[in-house]
Amino acid sequence: MGMQGDFLQLLKEQGYTLGTAASLGNSHTPTNATTILAFKYRDGVLVAGDRRATAGNMVMYDRTDKVLEIDRHSVMAIAGVPATAYEMVRVLEHSFKYYRRTQLQELSFDGKLRAISKLLKDNVPAALAGTGAVVPVFAGYDLEQGSAKIYFYDILGAEFEGVEYAVSGSGSPTIRGILHYLNTWGDQPLNRLPEEQAMVQALRLLTSAAEFDSATGGVNREASLYPVIKLITGAGVQTVPDATLKPLYESQVVRYV
Amino acid sequence: MYEEPYRWVEAVGNRRQYLDEQFKQGSPVVALTYEGGILLTTVSKGTAKLYEIYDRLALGGMGHPTDLEKLRFSLLEMAHVEGFNRSPSDVTGSRLVKYGIAPVIKQAFEEVYKAPFIVRILVAELGVKPEKDALLTINYDGTFEESIGCAVLAATPAAQTKMTAYLKEQTPATLSLEQALDLALRAWAIGSLAHQQEETDQQAESEPSAGKVSAVSAPVPSAEVLMAHVRGIAGGRTLDCAVLERQVPGTSKYRSLKPSDLAPLLPKSLQSVVAN
Repeated sequence: MGMQGDFLQLLKEQGYTLGTAASLGNSHTPTNATTILAFKYRDGVLVAGDRRATAGNMVMYDRTDKVLEIDRHSVMAIAGVPATAYEMVRVLEHSFKYYRRTQLQELSFDGKLRAISKLLKDNVPAALAGTGAVVPVFAGYDLEQGSAKIYFYDILGAEFEGVEYAVSGSGSPTIRGILHYLNTWGDQPLNRLPEEQAMVQALRLLTSAAEFDSATGGVNREASLYPVIKLITGAGVQTVPDATLKPLYESQVVRYV
Repeated sequence: MYEEPYRWVEAVGNRRQYLDEQFKQGSPVVALTYEGGILLTTVSKGTAKLYEIYDRLALGGMGHPTDLEKLRFSLLEMAHVEGFNRSPSDVTGSRLVKYGIAPVIKQAFEEVYKAPFIVRILVAELGVKPEKDALLTINYDGTFEESIGCAVLAATPAAQTKMTAYLKEQTPATLSLEQALDLALRAWAIGSLAHQQEETDQQAESEPSAGKVSAVSAPVPSAEVLMAHVRGIAGGRTLDCAVLERQVPGTSKYRSLKPSDLAPLLPKSLQSVVAN
């Protein structure tokens, strides 16, 4: 199996399974993570996510990281059940590294997309049973073609290319409309926004999602709680520090009416 | 006939002789710690002999390429499965070597009906702190050795001793990458020269009127001579260098040095080697 550099196959040979179709008991509400977005800007692609994880109407955690780095040039943002999503990210991270180290070349961008589809397909029983539905957005920089790319998936593993932007999670209907409006009738299309403007838009979008969706956490300045924003360019993935987001939020997002 | 103990010992002895012969054409491998991590260096004839095994593990090898590949794959498999099932910090060079491949190599060596692995292997592990850096070497019979600071693979034990002695003598407390590369190349030349010398000595023994300076007593050549030797040999081959860097961002610390990375690090006399 080493010949093919397929890490998931290696795990399976050792008895590993990703999703099990355990049906959901009546008393249990699974934890969910919500509202992620990705759009292309001038230098690459921006991926952002709020930080709230909920179980039913209870807030489980307010510092969740839903935008996860898989390698130097790709990021997976997750909406859905975090337990499954984190596991998938772990599998992917190891798969890409294993491929690179055994085959002595990087897995192609298309190869990476396929790997995610395969994982989601394996996870279908759990997704349908309600214990492990994950709806990811995958964004990365394709070094061979020199361009940023965004893909989103449904829970069955179908892959769709988000040409300019993609959203997922319970807060996404709100911001999908805004993204469409901004991209079509805004001052300039999203893919021409400079880095700082792109970050401001991401903060405004997540704040809007939190306004209309209780499962989305907004910005909490008292607790210095800001969304996770990552920028992917040809140089790699870069996490925007809170210290950068704070002044942007205060000067360009908050309105004292 | 190997069932008798005496025969078995004899067979294993023959095997050693046969295996020692196999490394004659091999190029030595040098691993050296420097201020930023660990440097691995060798000169290869096209196929790389330095590899990434895991986040903080690198591999260097001598011997038969197919055998080396086989062992490389088992190391990769063990490391990644362990790193996934437990955590990346549980993947250590010493566990992979001592409980992973060393027993396999020993078994293949002692089963005299089957083919042994024609390999010598070096595993370098980058610690979180410099004092945790570890270097392990495994011989074709499964014996392994742990060392700190530097480790080498060479065609013969004599060449290996010379290289290690030279490294130990020259190593100051900390080296920059540039200094480490310079030293590693000189050590490589010592190994390569010692080996050439042994070859000629052997020929000389068969011819009655021969030179008197033997490989063991020959003085250590000057740095210029060593570099000239590297230039002479590396010209037609590839200078292979890789580093494990402690400060690099991200989890994977391995980086193979491309000709463009090497050019500014090499001494002037060797620039031409990477240029073509």
